[in-house]
Amino acid sequence: MSGSAEEKTGRKGDEAMVILVTGGSGSGKSAYAEEVLASLPGTGQNYYLAAMKVYGEEGRKKVERHRRLRAGKGFVTIEQPVDIGQAAGKMKAERPSAILECMSNLTANEMFDGEKRKGSQQTAEKILREVKTLSEHLKHLVIVTNNVFEDGIRYDDTTMDYMRALGLINRELARMADRVVEVIVGIPVVIKEGR
Amino acid sequence: MELYIGGFAQGKLEYVRRQHPGEKFRILDGADRKLEDGRMDGGRLLINHFHGWVKGLIAEGKDAEALTEMLAKEYPDCIIICDEVGNGIVPVEPFEREYRERLGRILIGLAAKAERVERVSCGIGLRVK
Repeated sequence: MSGSAEEKTGRKGDEAMVILVTGGSGSGKSAYAEEVLASLPGTGQNYYLAAMKVYGEEGRKKVERHRRLRAGKGFVTIEQPVDIGQAAGKMKAERPSAILECMSNLTANEMFDGEKRKGSQQTAEKILREVKTLSEHLKHLVIVTNNVFEDGIRYDDTTMDYMRALGLINRELARMADRVVEVIVGIPVVIKEGR
Repeated sequence: MELYIGGFAQGKLEYVRRQHPGEKFRILDGADRKLEDGRMDGGRLLINHFHGWVKGLIAEGKDAEALTEMLAKEYPDCIIICDEVGNGIVPVEPFEREYRERLGRILIGLAAKAERVERVSCGIGLRVK
């Protein structure tokens, strides 16, 4: 990556950053999230907040691949498929930084948690409230989300409501973020810079 | 190498032609599957619908990554046009999921090699590299 956070934002190096990273399947957004966090000044302990629930062989392989990517980079992993705000209490280090991956998983997990499916509005509000709590506890927070919106398919009502929730969340996170980056074929394209 | 990525029907091929006025291309369609047949003459190689080529290879259980690697080595000045297929709900079918993931990774590799990468939307290119 070229340029430090300070060059890009004109901010002092000790300021906390919230960065939203979006992209599609296999776009390289995970690798970029790690790269950008490593480039930020003054990160203490880094945490990796994993929101994916692991099912089956494919899920295990995905986790394996991500673990390999992070190996040796000093991340402490916290599995937090729902109630992301609770991750704050599980971090022992003082003013740590974290990657939260992935908002698409967290949204699905929250929406379909419990007996009754939550609506998009309720799901979005809960997640956004908890992400705010989390970000106050952290120095830098890099949130990985997913662009699931551009395949032109009209899905069933439940899926559409899920997409609506994730869309709402992405928009609100983008509003609160200091930087929003879309990763296209592994190349980061900054689509918002500065709060 | 140049890589152009974008959604279906966004005018990618037309955009590429506009970027290279007067240049002669040997256009191959990913759906034709003729790429594996060896060296081709008659202008700069332009591969349209690259995603179709990769999908076909994966469906046949072939090593799409290695074949792409060979292609890039054999035709270092080629132009590749590919649909963006990763920006959707993760499909239920395992093959479709694998296709999106593997194509995404292959494109990252090609983008790293390319001297020019553009994302085309509504017929307009955004140069990202």
